[in-house]
Amino acid sequence: MAEKIRILCIDDEARILRALKALFREHEVHTTSDPKLALLWAKSKDIDVVVCDQRMPQMLGVDLLREIKQVQPRAMRLLLTGYSDLTAVLASVNESEVYRFINKPWDNTELRDLVTQAANIARDVPILPSAPISDSEKEQARRTASVLVIEDDPDTQNRLREILGAHYTVRFANNAERAMQLLEQHETGVVISEAETNAGDWTTLIKLLKQYHPQIPTVVITDRANAQLAIDLINEGQVYRMLIKPVRMGTCRLSVESAIGHYWQLKQNPQALRRFSVSAPKSTGGLLPTWLSGGLLERIKKLPRRLLGSMA
Amino acid sequence: MIWILAILLLLAAAALIWLWLARARLLVEHQSASEALKRMQTTQSQVMHTNKLASLGQMVAGVTHEINTPLGFLRSNAQVVTELLEEHMQIVGKIASALGKFEQVDLAQPQAQEALRRLLPKMQAALKNDERIAESRALLHDALEGVDQISSLVKNLKGFARVDRDGQELWNVNEGVESALMIANHQMKDRIEVIKNLESVPLVRVMPSQINQVFLNLITNAAQAMHERGTLTVSSRRNGETVEIEFSDTGSGIPSAVLPKIFDPFFTTKPVGEGTGLGLSIVHKILTSHQGDIKVHSTPGHGARFTVILPVDHAALKSHSAITRDPA
Repeated sequence: MAEKIRILCIDDEARILRALKALFREHEVHTTSDPKLALLWAKSKDIDVVVCDQRMPQMLGVDLLREIKQVQPRAMRLLLTGYSDLTAVLASVNESEVYRFINKPWDNTELRDLVTQAANIARDVPILPSAPISDSEKEQARRTASVLVIEDDPDTQNRLREILGAHYTVRFANNAERAMQLLEQHETGVVISEAETNAGDWTTLIKLLKQYHPQIPTVVITDRANAQLAIDLINEGQVYRMLIKPVRMGTCRLSVESAIGHYWQLKQNPQALRRFSVSAPKSTGGLLPTWLSGGLLERIKKLPRRLLGSMA
Repeated sequence: MIWILAILLLLAAAALIWLWLARARLLVEHQSASEALKRMQTTQSQVMHTNKLASLGQMVAGVTHEINTPLGFLRSNAQVVTELLEEHMQIVGKIASALGKFEQVDLAQPQAQEALRRLLPKMQAALKNDERIAESRALLHDALEGVDQISSLVKNLKGFARVDRDGQELWNVNEGVESALMIANHQMKDRIEVIKNLESVPLVRVMPSQINQVFLNLITNAAQAMHERGTLTVSSRRNGETVEIEFSDTGSGIPSAVLPKIFDPFFTTKPVGEGTGLGLSIVHKILTSHQGDIKVHSTPGHGARFTVILPVDHAALKSHSAITRDPA
């Protein structure tokens, strides 16, 4: 990048701030422990990338990032954290829509690459319109794109049918093969999936779908209080929303409505896609589960041409 | 006579049989009672163990958070300083090779002197203005502080868990308050202000690991009672032949109907799955076994105040009164 990246770092530990400033010494780094000042600077200094600590005495990182998103929407938001409780992770997905989650202690090379990548996106990739789509567009989106539920538990299936059936075309798959068939045959606006079930781990499928089809937002349902699983799903799956079981009607419907809107906006603004992209998942160590062997990966890769004529 | 004797014998035999039966019944009762006692002791030790594990989990969470921050800048600084030194070495290398060229030159020559005169200030400036060394020094300074931070955490942790000893010892309660606060810090850091009023108090003879557990339990309860922001005030003082440690929060308080039950086993107001209902009953048990006590005062809506009372060790008391007479 020819121009210096403008980075804003917020942490209550001055030594973390000095370390980050030294790490990004080739760039324009602004550091502060004061959330109010950070909010002011985000706009006035035209920040590209925000690196924010989660636990600070005055304010939680996720809350600050949510506010920064309002004033400087093009900036990419990274959350830095020493210990992740699930509440913080959920808020970072559902409210602050963070780009990546970084654990302390971080790896310098990884963090530099990540910030460079985020800065490129912040500068080159346009943002989606902040206003939600109109009612007529909503209606159109609802008619065009369906909701795919990957779930093998009949109770949860019924629950979701109850909540969403009247409003959306909802299709159910209880295995990967069936999910692929539905994705091939129908334009899908949202994928709702369980993170882990008795049938196995769905997170790899979620991550791979996102890798090749970042336009489809995923809503993940989980009953496990596992913060690391959630972090991986953010970093490698750019999960759009995360719901904890038992699924509540209100939050679920809101999440799906917001996700369909997101899909529709991306369909109209495909140039914004890179903001939601991920690279190949790392946490699986490059090994794919056996169910992916039967040509499923090839089928995942081939999906877009069939579905998104207007985008491809 | 014989009849009387026979009757007496019969009576004696009956009494003996009765006694024998009573003894047998007592034996059975005793056996079942001691079995019940054994069962209760096992349950109790299981409960204590579970509670110990729960506080171990809390401890790990707390320490992970506290250690990862210094580890974060330590790791980063070590790598950055390496880079800065490499860059600095490149400057030094360039200067050395520039100077090396003069080895083959006759320095008596005026051109050589002129060239050297032009070169020297540049070299001097390059070395003097290289901020990498000053920056490295600052980063290393932070790194050393980070190491100290981690060391004191580990020391605190050892003091808290007492992994290396487990018995009664003469102990300063303020030490325990400090280490319990450190362990609980991650539950409070972002929202609760902690005020410490720790006076110099005489030593108590206790099992520190147990009293630490009491302190951690009371601090955790206080943190959970303050849903949003709040203040936790921890004070210690001497009161006659006892030491009092007070934990006062600005949380939701305890309803007066609930107050008499809070030290009962299995009583909890927390949602199912969140509280075992054993915390405060174990606190009470630990303090009773130390000939201590716990008192609670609460105004619903305005927080709660728990006061831990421990007897002063008499030997320590003498030396302490010597200390307190000291005007300093």
